[in-house]
Amino acid sequence: MSAKVLTPITQALEAGVLTRRELKQCMRRSNTRGLAHAVGFLGLIAATGWLVHLAMAGWWLLPAMFLHGVVLVHLFAPQHECVHYTPFRSRWLNDLVGNLCGFAIMLPHQHFRYEHCDHHTYTQLPGQDPELIPLPQSLSGYLWYLSSIPYWRNKFTELPRHIAGRLTEEEKRFIPAPARPVIFREARLMALAYLAILAACAVFDWWAPVFYWWLPVLLGEPVMRAIRVTEHMGRPTIRDMQVNTRTNLVSWPWRFLCWNMNYHAEHHYAASVPFHALPALHAKIAGHVHVEPGGYLGAHIDIIRQLTGRKPRMDSATAEEAA
Amino acid sequence: MTTQRQKDWHDLIALSALEPGDATPVSFRGRELAVYDSRDGIFVSYARCTHGAANLCDGYFDGRNIECPLHQGLFQVRTGKALAAPAGVNLRMVEARVVGGMVQILF
Repeated sequence: MSAKVLTPITQALEAGVLTRRELKQCMRRSNTRGLAHAVGFLGLIAATGWLVHLAMAGWWLLPAMFLHGVVLVHLFAPQHECVHYTPFRSRWLNDLVGNLCGFAIMLPHQHFRYEHCDHHTYTQLPGQDPELIPLPQSLSGYLWYLSSIPYWRNKFTELPRHIAGRLTEEEKRFIPAPARPVIFREARLMALAYLAILAACAVFDWWAPVFYWWLPVLLGEPVMRAIRVTEHMGRPTIRDMQVNTRTNLVSWPWRFLCWNMNYHAEHHYAASVPFHALPALHAKIAGHVHVEPGGYLGAHIDIIRQLTGRKPRMDSATAEEAA
Repeated sequence: MTTQRQKDWHDLIALSALEPGDATPVSFRGRELAVYDSRDGIFVSYARCTHGAANLCDGYFDGRNIECPLHQGLFQVRTGKALAAPAGVNLRMVEARVVGGMVQILF
């Protein structure tokens, strides 16, 4: 038997924060809840897509595409949920939706799944958490990250690398050898599908994917980067789940868009809890996770204060200092 | 030459003490076991996930398969078979039976 592994859940159970029965209650899966949210989300995509259509020849095309893009990049939220097999009771439905969302935002689902496994095992541990976004050294570094340029540069080098059948040393750490052919096949299939769509655009002089999909995603991605940094950036780079993750209290439209993933600390406590039960879990473990009452804006103010020296940097803080 | 240890049936936990329709953690001689009250009957396995070693009793159980709480790898509780990545190694099962309202294991 291996040594005891203290997962966030065991941490919560041993601290008496909630009982196993309460936890299991929160873990209940529902196809209905997942599909209802998905239909609403698709309706929103259709609505903002319609705005792009109305604006096609006008000066407000760019703002309309930006708004549409903000919704599209939030496809990351259901994909992330599907990585955890939580939004739908049926495993196959999670696989299907996750892969479709990943295709829409160029985030290969299987690769993300393996990467995300290590993110949950080694949350905020430098050199071990493959999704760790380091606290920048300066305000300009922070703005550079938010521009999404480093993000897309990484994505556009990652896909060709996988098509060529290569992995970085970091990727070799979190993708086991038997899974590597799956990662390479996934990248090749995605690239083929993108090329087929691009070819169709050129052949049929049909540019809808550019105006309703790719350009909006590029325009909207900085918003997703700004949201993603609020989850962990500026929190201590230590294992303790009580302090290394932020829950951001945001208004209903944002909660709808991100499938309640603003309750991020709760998600890390119990990754098997579906999005619709995260508010209930939040209520149960109140006081045991770090909550940013100012929401996304409050998190950014916290980060900027650290970058400008008005608050000690948290990336070297201990749990006691962070508390 | 090695000799095979003689196995015997041992009381593990009362049926009434199990989490109904769920996985219950039980400690036996220093080993962490999981007792599953499944739709196909009572089954017992070692409790730790073969991938990340999280306690499976904290995971989602749909009545037939148990999901790891950490990475959502999946195991069939009747056979211990690893059904979904990142789990790739089967669970170690312990033979179990129910006698007089008591779950017993062959150990």
